[in-house]
Amino acid sequence: MLYYLVKRPPLDAAGKSVMLLGVGVLPIMVAMIGNLEGFAATERQGFCGSCHTMDMWIEDANDPSSESLAAIHSRTHKFGGESCYVCHKDYGMFGYAMTKLGGMGHVYKFVSEWMWYDRDEVIEKIHIARPFKNDNCMQCHSTTGKVWNEVADHNGLLDDLRTDQTSCASAGCHGYAHPFSKSGEETPSEAAAHSALQAPAPEGG
Amino acid sequence: MNARAKIEKFLDTASRSRLMVYACVLGLIALALMSWSLFDQGWIPVMMAMSVGQGIGTLSFALFLVIVIIDLRQAEFRPSLPPERPKPKGD
Repeated sequence: MLYYLVKRPPLDAAGKSVMLLGVGVLPIMVAMIGNLEGFAATERQGFCGSCHTMDMWIEDANDPSSESLAAIHSRTHKFGGESCYVCHKDYGMFGYAMTKLGGMGHVYKFVSEWMWYDRDEVIEKIHIARPFKNDNCMQCHSTTGKVWNEVADHNGLLDDLRTDQTSCASAGCHGYAHPFSKSGEETPSEAAAHSALQAPAPEGG
Repeated sequence: MNARAKIEKFLDTASRSRLMVYACVLGLIALALMSWSLFDQGWIPVMMAMSVGQGIGTLSFALFLVIVIIDLRQAEFRPSLPPERPKPKGD
């Protein structure tokens, strides 16, 4: 293409064949590679963190001293550099498409509103669009294992957990995934649910 | 003048070399945008590559196809079969 712009060779059959490579084949190949790499890039932490509003979430997830759920999971190999995506994506038949659509919604909100927030405003104004589904936790923690079911809270709340009535990532259970962004108060319903459960009696006791 | 007549007039009068210059410029811009996302994977480069970059690239290729259509309209096609030989008079 540059050669054509500089030298302006005649547009005969040979010239057009060469231009077909430059204007057609090469851009199509770059677009295909770009699509593959672009879709893969949207699953990485670096992509989520490229909006300044996500800085604190990424910092916490990558903080080796943090004990938040996000940080604990980000330290494991399975999640690692894709921890945002692995936890927040929709699972299911149309999960990939729905996750991408949700991401487009985030882009729209960022461009139309969030990009004007500074660091302090972000904490107050940004919150998850929909309640976090336990389904996402259950991709790994199946809720069917013996050890898991031996925990009294798990066993007592099994139906609630499977139907999202009680969140795994709530203050009364495993804590918020991003606790720095919460006020720290436990919601009354969660407090009630957990105070009603008895801890398992120690063996031989 | 209806749309079809306008298109035909455009195909008859458009300059192929000028169209190719536009196609090349747009193609280079598209390549630059699409390549940018391979090196910087923030949301702006990735989204620009997958929307604006590919749109401009498609436009560039469409201009190239217009040039091909113009050439085809102006081409003189020879018949693929040789003309039938006249029969000898004695038969």
